[in-house]
Amino acid sequence: MNTTVNDDTLLSSARRRWLLGSGATLASALGAGTVGNLLLNARPAYAADYKALVCIFLYGGNDGMNMIVPSDTARYNQYAGVRKALAIPQASLTPLTGVSYGLHPAMAALGTAWNDGHLAPVFNLGPLAQPLTKAQYRAATANSGVLPSSLFSHSDQQVLWETGSSDSLTRTGWGGRASEALATVNPVISVAGSARFGLSTTQTPLVLPGPGSTFGAQGLQATDTWAPLVARKQAIDALYAQAQDVALADAYTSAQRDAFAMSARLGALVKTRPGDADAVAAIDTAFASLTSAGKITTGLGNQLYQLAKLIAGNATVQGNRQLFFASMGGFDTHGNQVVTGSSTEGEHARLLKELGDALAAFYAALKALGLGGAVTTFTQSDFGRTFAPNSSTGTDHAWGNQHLVLGGAVKGGATYGSYPELVPGGVNDVGQESWELQGRWIPTTAVDQYAATLLGWFGASEGQLDSVLPNLKNFGTARKLAFL
Amino acid sequence: MRLADQASFGPTEALVASIKSQGISAWVSTQMGLKSARYTSGNGGEVHQYTGSGSFCDGKPTTCWRDWSSTEPLVWDFYRNAVTQPDQLRQRVAFALQQIVVVSNLEVTGTYGFRLYYNNLLDNAFGNYRQVLKKVALSPVMGDFLNSANNDKAAPNENFARELLQLFSIGTCELNTDGSLKGGACTATYSNEVVRSYAYAITGWTYPAGGATPWGCWPKGMNCTYYAGDMIPVASFHDSAERPLLSGVTVAAGTAAAPALESVLDSLMAHPNIGPFIGKQLIQHLVSSNPSAAYVQRVATAFNSGKYQAFGSGVKGDLAATVAAVLLDAEARGEAVARSAGKLREPAVMFAGVLRALHGNTDGDALSWWWGDSLRQHVFRPPSVFNYFPPDYPVPGTTLVGPEYGIHSANAALERLNYLTFLLDWDGAAPSASIPNALGTQIDLSAFTTDAADAAKLVDRLSLLALGQALPSAPRDKVITAVSWWTDKTDATNWKTKRVKAAAYLVFGSPNYQVMR
Repeated sequence: MNTTVNDDTLLSSARRRWLLGSGATLASALGAGTVGNLLLNARPAYAADYKALVCIFLYGGNDGMNMIVPSDTARYNQYAGVRKALAIPQASLTPLTGVSYGLHPAMAALGTAWNDGHLAPVFNLGPLAQPLTKAQYRAATANSGVLPSSLFSHSDQQVLWETGSSDSLTRTGWGGRASEALATVNPVISVAGSARFGLSTTQTPLVLPGPGSTFGAQGLQATDTWAPLVARKQAIDALYAQAQDVALADAYTSAQRDAFAMSARLGALVKTRPGDADAVAAIDTAFASLTSAGKITTGLGNQLYQLAKLIAGNATVQGNRQLFFASMGGFDTHGNQVVTGSSTEGEHARLLKELGDALAAFYAALKALGLGGAVTTFTQSDFGRTFAPNSSTGTDHAWGNQHLVLGGAVKGGATYGSYPELVPGGVNDVGQESWELQGRWIPTTAVDQYAATLLGWFGASEGQLDSVLPNLKNFGTARKLAFL
Repeated sequence: MRLADQASFGPTEALVASIKSQGISAWVSTQMGLKSARYTSGNGGEVHQYTGSGSFCDGKPTTCWRDWSSTEPLVWDFYRNAVTQPDQLRQRVAFALQQIVVVSNLEVTGTYGFRLYYNNLLDNAFGNYRQVLKKVALSPVMGDFLNSANNDKAAPNENFARELLQLFSIGTCELNTDGSLKGGACTATYSNEVVRSYAYAITGWTYPAGGATPWGCWPKGMNCTYYAGDMIPVASFHDSAERPLLSGVTVAAGTAAAPALESVLDSLMAHPNIGPFIGKQLIQHLVSSNPSAAYVQRVATAFNSGKYQAFGSGVKGDLAATVAAVLLDAEARGEAVARSAGKLREPAVMFAGVLRALHGNTDGDALSWWWGDSLRQHVFRPPSVFNYFPPDYPVPGTTLVGPEYGIHSANAALERLNYLTFLLDWDGAAPSASIPNALGTQIDLSAFTTDAADAAKLVDRLSLLALGQALPSAPRDKVITAVSWWTDKTDATNWKTKRVKAAAYLVFGSPNYQVMR
């Protein structure tokens, strides 16, 4: 960490450490086929052995109970009876042919992926230390390890989802640990900040700005050959090669050295906007409905456009396995979740439309590139929300939640896990006494099982899954779900 | 210099001289007596009193939303004050407090309401933390942000109650006075039942009178959205059952909303967590990310006793005593710097710090949507009540935490350098016609050109100002070489200014500056 940088190779010091530490050869780590040029609109050569996982974190706690709703009469009536003013009208649901559920009407754009058989809802997911019954939940004592820490708290439950842990003091994310265990060429690439998901013991996620942004230091590029700028760069390099007296500053200099190396390689690719000369036509077409005057019009759309470019530009990004991270905020809908008198309008509908439209465009882009089966996208979120609404047309913090998995490799057209029994105070509800009957579901599937399914597809061995997801062993033989 | 980093928006040569001449304790005491910075910009509450047809901004200038609804006018005040007003410590403490008791313009609009909220934090920066919490609990901006306004006992919204406990006062795990976890693991401070009790106890508050809409106020019996003052109680919405709280405090059956809130504050101020929980975060915001347990213990003790040396009133929660304990502690003042010391300078402090050191001036306009968003610290617009970054963000490659690293990244590292390019090589930003009393964002290097003929002297002078010491010799040599490229041969008219620019870029762009010790 505090050694001087003595060369300007493409490989950052951290990446060199991984390659050496993992025993992988340089060739295998870079991935066969990554050096070929990408032919637009044709299945690229590297796709034969390329896989990417895309995590979309919905910050604030998405209300999964209104994202996917039971559509059979008996359960719909149970749902509407409790949800009252928040209930989404049965007739307005986006139908999911073949199953007794419908999506929120704002997510109609995902109908294509469902009909293609490439979209799968996963029910009642959440952080667990071990399989948990209501009786065990209610009998659990403090610090027994039976329950995940600090339930119902945003920050803690975000950490548990992102770290694949039941202890919110965990420092590293399951994405970061997987990247380390599988010796991926790049760390987790994030287009949404330095989230915990991508942290490992040695690496931070590589955070890239959006399309059109400059990823690089002005005046310090390889093309800046004017003598005073060359002298400036040499001085900067000397400043950042200097060992520091405090550990935090060594971490800072290390990140800065990586930043110079990464920006030299990725700067041009990052900057490309829709319609630019080096834009990929198939991606621009798929995002056309979200594009205006060369800019993507929604936050998540912009992030996923950037990821589609990075996936298509894998010859530059490098590596045959890549974890990505994107996010949306604003899901903490305590109040005004819906418009009074019109439950398909309001804040939550707006959020789900942004999510559904961006996912649909991303799915279409990858399909057009011939990479549909190489990329699996999945959601995470702090927690589900109370089944029973509060007095401000909103919902409060809960636990188990519904999620979506999308991609050509996904065995979609079906649902996974078990939808909670729609009874406040019932078998899935943490609550029993009259004061606590808000419907906070005890998860029936753990984050660990969800992550193991995704990472198993990605290429992690059973042993690697056990090391990346330390609680997985507590779930016996039920290590993975069948959606991949 | 080190105290100036911790207790102001950054050292200037004049400030460092002033601290040296007064002595540290006297300077802190003097600062606590100053009160000059205020939030004054932006328009009033008319935006919440409009009963005409169409929307409020119809027929008004295109700056309507900015000046009535957004926090942009307050960004102008924030940076103007940070760069030029003398009550630096009050502003730094208020900035720390606003990152603990967070509201955000991302979710709530109404310039005048935020102005009141942040002026309250300036007013109470050296008052008592109980008063901070009380004003926060009664703020209609907070009431809208965390749904405590118009909260009905029938099915109380838990949002404010939960974050009041988790973020504003005691946290989720039981703490020792030194900030460590009791028993070495997280023992929950409260259960979900406790959260519900607090939610019930804080029901029954509505906006102050004065708001109006074309369609009346809803729900019936409550006031319309309005932010010019504290929230007021509404008996019909207030739960009056007995509610057991923490610290052995109980709200008796039949208690009205106002005394119930006092009981809520009693229970939080009496909790053993509040001293270390708030004290440690003040250390992290002002001095270092990883204070020793003994340092936290000393600060928490000052919070609890309300007294530190000659500072404070002796009442628990006294912030003058707490801040004095943070700044005058041996760990903040000692010459020896521990390997675990330091903190990454947060973007807003870095923006203002470079401007202050280089005799700059700003109206803040370039530091909001442009540089604020680039570096993920657009003042008054944190992404959620969890602030821009968490207090426990882990720093890979170390066993330490670094809260500000939560918004740091490869891209942010490069953008920090680009901010210097903007100030030094692009001459900053010119005044914009749309900003009242516009200044742009610009620096004045004339004071440093007097030393520019001697590159080594210039580099050392800037290093002393920015770092408190010279750069290590190897990089110092390279910096002097880069500065020396400019001579009367390469630029006959501006070579001295070019030298100052070259030197300032490298000194302020160094890791030695970006990570304060």
